[in-house]
Amino acid sequence: MRYLLSQGVTLTAERTPQQEAARFNSTSLTYAELERRSNNLAHTLLELGLKRGERVGIYMNKSLESAVAMYGIMKAGGAYVPLDPFAPVGRVGFVISDCGIRHLVTNQTKVDAVRQILREISCLQHLIGIASQAEMQVNCLEWEQVYQAPHQYPGLNLTEQDLAYILYTSGSTGTPKGIMHTHRSGLSFAEWAAAEYELTSEDRLSNHAPLHFDLSTFDFFSGAIAGATTVIVPEALTKFPANMARFIEEERISVWYSVPFALIQLMQRGGLEKRDLSALRWILFAGEVFPTKHLRQLIDMLPSVRFSNLYGPTETNVCTYYHVERLPEVSDETIPIGKPCANIEDLVVDADNHPVAPGEVGELLIRGGVVMKGYWGQPEKTANGFYRRPAFDQFEDLFYRTGDLVQLDADGNYRYLGRKDRQIKTRGYRVELDEVEIALLAHPNIEEAAAYPVPDGQGSNLIESAVILKIGAHLTDEELIAHISNRLPPYAIPVRIDFLIDFPRTSTGKINRRELQETAVARQAGVA
Amino acid sequence: MDRKSHLIDFIKNEIMHNSRANLDPDTDLLGAGILDSIGILQLVAFIEKMFKISVPDEDVVYDNFMSINTLVDYLRQY
Repeated sequence: MRYLLSQGVTLTAERTPQQEAARFNSTSLTYAELERRSNNLAHTLLELGLKRGERVGIYMNKSLESAVAMYGIMKAGGAYVPLDPFAPVGRVGFVISDCGIRHLVTNQTKVDAVRQILREISCLQHLIGIASQAEMQVNCLEWEQVYQAPHQYPGLNLTEQDLAYILYTSGSTGTPKGIMHTHRSGLSFAEWAAAEYELTSEDRLSNHAPLHFDLSTFDFFSGAIAGATTVIVPEALTKFPANMARFIEEERISVWYSVPFALIQLMQRGGLEKRDLSALRWILFAGEVFPTKHLRQLIDMLPSVRFSNLYGPTETNVCTYYHVERLPEVSDETIPIGKPCANIEDLVVDADNHPVAPGEVGELLIRGGVVMKGYWGQPEKTANGFYRRPAFDQFEDLFYRTGDLVQLDADGNYRYLGRKDRQIKTRGYRVELDEVEIALLAHPNIEEAAAYPVPDGQGSNLIESAVILKIGAHLTDEELIAHISNRLPPYAIPVRIDFLIDFPRTSTGKINRRELQETAVARQAGVA
Repeated sequence: MDRKSHLIDFIKNEIMHNSRANLDPDTDLLGAGILDSIGILQLVAFIEKMFKISVPDEDVVYDNFMSINTLVDYLRQY
């Protein structure tokens, strides 16, 4: 019986121990090796006093150790917290202290960054993956030492309700928020996806998304359930379409999963037509709307591949899906987000939480196994994130509020229409525009700031912003970018900052962000 | 100015937004998080305009764009 995410590996290791579990840069781990090494890490963490439900950070560029870390932490009863290796150290430090991480799994290439983090926060006690450093007041343990720990399955008495991982995402109050998932919520999605896409041990899944991005849970967890091989795309290669195309061919990838932006790049600059992609059977995409004209081109280029649109905020893993059967020849209407996955109840409500009639616009609410436990350390935000529907005056059904506006089609598929709030996607990354504005406002010379999305012509958005300086203050574009670069991840940094004397205002005196946005769009159209 | 200096200036000013940054020509631009997808597109556009050459898509690969030095080596053929 499978009720923990780590059992995907444990059970496959019993069945097909010599099967490749994970590959990275032509090196690999079999299921037996992954099982053994993650047991080594689990015993190491337990030896270092890890308690059930404790958070353990993973802070390194992707490698085979990424898989060892995720499973080892969960086997020790901990929740893994992937930290973006490209985020500014201030932001990484914030996440570490926000959820009280004592144990950090890392590697030697991160030594300088870890040193900086240690100067700013005090909760870290144990670093795994780096050699002892004279000036660090923490316990260090190298991977070689980890691999000498006992290799038996630790066999703790864990349940599906235990915390498995926390994914941090942009927060509208100015700091990132941690989305807590349990073994059950992770497994609900991973098992559904393994069945829906008919994964087998023959499959070779790409892992393109970063670990802190929820797409990665499919690559690893659904893959392990099916006994398939997860081939980790080195981060540097993900930036080069020609490298990615070669990677898909050479690694004989059969199931690809990424944001649409990566696929559009691959199609436009990857030289796909020169590649033998005959192993590829599914292309899954999520995170953003795939512009129909690009999707049609990609489908035409790869006629033997099936395509599927997966939808769901990180809080729900994935909750609806749509297999793209054919696209209208003439219309560029966007494809639907589809129907609810198994074990999910969907509800569309108006502003007063009343269900709307089928076909009317409303907010999508989701109930079922995939839904998160809540936001770490934010009971109020968690409470506001849910709608409680009374049942027979006896109990309540708990629905997560996606904040997404949808409409049900006559054929039973949902269409995504937009957001209720100021959350946007930029090239697949989720960003709260309020967080960008708060970062700009944190500079002492800034009086007011506005951030707004501008379409990038590829179906996604780039962020632009405008600021007003305090009277008599001076600030260059470069100084301001340096300031926000310490707070925001690279993808949330505005591509342009305008210094204005005043903003357009609404009749009530609020910043008219819509007009700023329209001006930016018009300027861009003028240039193009 | 030679090509290397042009490239260093462009990356510092337009991509890192920090004219005083310390950028070694052997720094792994990807590993250090200096170049992302958008940065690569900006850099290719700059090279094409500044050096009046056309960089084919199949040459925009990690081996060529790993560092300033690998990029200068690649550009020698033009």
